[in-house]
Amino acid sequence: MSNTEGFRRHGNNSYIAEFSQSEREILINLTEQIIELLAERVDHGHDDPLAAMVGITSHDSPPEDEVLHRLLPNAYADEVDAAEFRRYTESTLRNKKQAHAMAMRMYLKSAEDNIVDLDHDLANAWLGALNDIRLAVGVRLNVGVKTNEDLEILAPDDPLSAVYTVYTWLGWLQETLVLALMDDATIS
Amino acid sequence: MVKTADKIEEEIAAIFSGDQPWVTIVWDDPVNLMTYVTYVLMELFGYSKAKANEIMLKIHNEGKAVVSTGSREEMEHDVARLHEFGLWATLQRGDQI
Repeated sequence: MSNTEGFRRHGNNSYIAEFSQSEREILINLTEQIIELLAERVDHGHDDPLAAMVGITSHDSPPEDEVLHRLLPNAYADEVDAAEFRRYTESTLRNKKQAHAMAMRMYLKSAEDNIVDLDHDLANAWLGALNDIRLAVGVRLNVGVKTNEDLEILAPDDPLSAVYTVYTWLGWLQETLVLALMDDATIS
Repeated sequence: MVKTADKIEEEIAAIFSGDQPWVTIVWDDPVNLMTYVTYVLMELFGYSKAKANEIMLKIHNEGKAVVSTGSREEMEHDVARLHEFGLWATLQRGDQI
């Protein structure tokens, strides 16, 4: 899967990629999965409405789900400090990650010609979303424990083989966007 | 940018109060792309490409690196921003690295 040439920079503040219909559909599907996954981590209604209003959550322990744990990691090695930090910040982090994925999804939904033209801010939102998707898929593939070689020799009928193909494609796509943005950064 | 004199005063105050600065650490991660880590460090901290690349290589080769130093509140802010972009970051007292 690679009809696209990835992202390239046009002028000062424009990063363009053209996708195939199926690539666009895969990206939409993946953003939706991230949005749903983050939504699973609901706050079980904080007793204190004021606390709920300012974003203090009922969560003070990390998610049990391995993927959610990687997306919402502890900020301290110390468990007590980590819990305290999580209580005050986790809902904000979740909202930001959802906002990145939603911005990417919304853009792709409306890009019926399969052409994507991002400004710097939107490109950063896409990078955040693409990275969250790769983290999620990477955890499921056990990247880090398994080597690239392990994953490349998966049998073609192994469902993980298709997942790994998507994972490497996403990494390549993200890299083209990063390089297009860095090209910019070098000049400024 | 903090003026040098202010910075020195701050350091002296820290010595006398026993208040060690805090640090933000980014840990190596098998998923995050090296170029992406460099880019995020440039975007969030305003590091030059060379400086960001140097820190990224330290993370990659040594498993972790300090990416910023300051008060506990500042480091909590930095960790939150790094988490937003999917980097694996924690904060701790600078004297406990």
